[in-house]
Amino acid sequence: MKTWKILAGLVLAVALVAWPFFVENRFLIHIATMVCMYALLALSMNLMLRIGQLSLAHGAIMGIGAYTSALVMMSLGFPFAVGFLLSGVVGGLVSLIIGPILLRIRGVYFVLLTFAFGEIVLLTFIEWVDVFGGVNGIFGVPRAQIFGFVLKDKALSYLMALAMAAGGFFLLRAIYRSEFGAIMETLEDDEDLARSLGVNAMAYRLAVFVLSGAMAGFAGGFYASYFTFVSPGAFNFWAAVNLIVINVLGGIASPIGVILGAAILVPLPELFRDAVQYQVLFYGLALIVFLKFMPDGLYGLIGKIRGKRNDR
Amino acid sequence: MLQLLIQILMNGLMMGLVYIMMALGFTLIFGIMRIVNFAHGEFYMLGAMAVMLLFSTLGINYFAAVLLAAIIVAVIGMVIERLLLRQFVGRELNGMIMTLAIAITLKAGATIIFGPQEMSIPRPVSGVTNIAGILIPNDRMLVGAIAIAILVLFYFFLRYARAGLAMRAVAQDWEAAALQGIRPQRIYLLSFGIGCALAGLAGALMAPIYTVSPFIGEVPMLKAFIVVILGGLGSLPGAVVGGLLLGVVEAGVATFINTTVATMVSFALVVVILLFRPAGLMGQSR
Repeated sequence: MKTWKILAGLVLAVALVAWPFFVENRFLIHIATMVCMYALLALSMNLMLRIGQLSLAHGAIMGIGAYTSALVMMSLGFPFAVGFLLSGVVGGLVSLIIGPILLRIRGVYFVLLTFAFGEIVLLTFIEWVDVFGGVNGIFGVPRAQIFGFVLKDKALSYLMALAMAAGGFFLLRAIYRSEFGAIMETLEDDEDLARSLGVNAMAYRLAVFVLSGAMAGFAGGFYASYFTFVSPGAFNFWAAVNLIVINVLGGIASPIGVILGAAILVPLPELFRDAVQYQVLFYGLALIVFLKFMPDGLYGLIGKIRGKRNDR
Repeated sequence: MLQLLIQILMNGLMMGLVYIMMALGFTLIFGIMRIVNFAHGEFYMLGAMAVMLLFSTLGINYFAAVLLAAIIVAVIGMVIERLLLRQFVGRELNGMIMTLAIAITLKAGATIIFGPQEMSIPRPVSGVTNIAGILIPNDRMLVGAIAIAILVLFYFFLRYARAGLAMRAVAQDWEAAALQGIRPQRIYLLSFGIGCALAGLAGALMAPIYTVSPFIGEVPMLKAFIVVILGGLGSLPGAVVGGLLLGVVEAGVATFINTTVATMVSFALVVVILLFRPAGLMGQSR
């Protein structure tokens, strides 16, 4: 790698970590935190899209993580670290249990199956009022604590979210560059080929699903403590749709595209704060335009421009 | 007890007929275009909005308003098909994301034009008919009767009309159909229009019974999903059987437990069917 690239990366990293301590705008920091959280979630969706299995259950899995963390802290009295850890573990565990059943199904049927599964999870949160608090959810979830510091400060919460998003990003990049990533690609393109080479396709699919579920679970654990409440409405299938939108807009082909998608789409609603309807309309129209004219997303567009430049 | 069971059956049948109208369009579009139409509920909503404008605002006769609403929704659907969906025919995942985008846009557009509040429409008929202790609201009975008439009409169209035959041919094998001189593009346009018209009709008919708002499409779409999976994606007889089944099961569970559990049961049914008979109760696997 060229020296300037390493230098640029370092500068970017320092800037990302340091800016909230200079720009003390709570609102801006909040938006940045959301970008990071959605980046992690969208990355977890990216894993599924890479193996060609679009999951509408990811909102529900994030919800499972959020409720796990909230209940472990509030009902069982464990500290945040345990609750947060378990949010990811349980997210992955649920995926491990349902994966072997759900992943047998492909294509549209998988989408519909995960959709139905998500709805069942959501309805369980709503119906089982004693444990999950029904439609209102659970209030007063303890804030995040790291080494005894309560993350009441917005900047510290942002740093935690940034660390999670960065962790997800580098993990995915490493995976996609490894042999595991190459096998994932064949799973989407030509599973028969992969299997004829002795690849246990189901095991790989399951591994991807579990990792993806764990990432969504961690995001849920963060969500619960950041907002200090959880309610079922936040985890319906539109939550999963949002993650798909981020992926489509940014470009599925690269984790950088996913980050780009989150960085553009999450702050977007703030431009239309006075008129929520216009914000949703714009969201829908942008998605239509991208699907119709830029199927490879922003990252694909950048790639095309670069490609043209290199041709000269 | 028997009376209660018959009452549940009647309630289930009334809801089931509406579900069937939603599900038939949904499954027709999938069978022919291989597109899962996540915007189907939005066409239901547009039908309700149209009938509200025509019937309560402009004062047109209710039945004429319902018919006009169906035509308006069909035209909107065909424009959307031509402009946005055609390139996604057969590309299931991307087509699905496109219909999601259309759903978001239509809902937001309706919210901007009509506002987010719930509005009510005067009922064209009122009162309750009592048949041997079984109570049936007259407005529901009217919806049921119109629904049955539409379903019969739809059946004869598919069975005997040239266009209906062509649609079935394209659903079976579009290449073979094209070799026979059928233009698949026209069939896509026609079937999407008909599918949307059915959804619009369902919305127009149910509008006086429930309230009207930009968000009313979501529940009927979920029901259409369930029905279509029960019956088999792309299967028309399956949509009829699935609709009746869902209507009756829901009415039963809702009477004895509650509606949340009724919805859970229906989704659990969907998971089981998808796992063990992904082609549905009536569908044939390809």
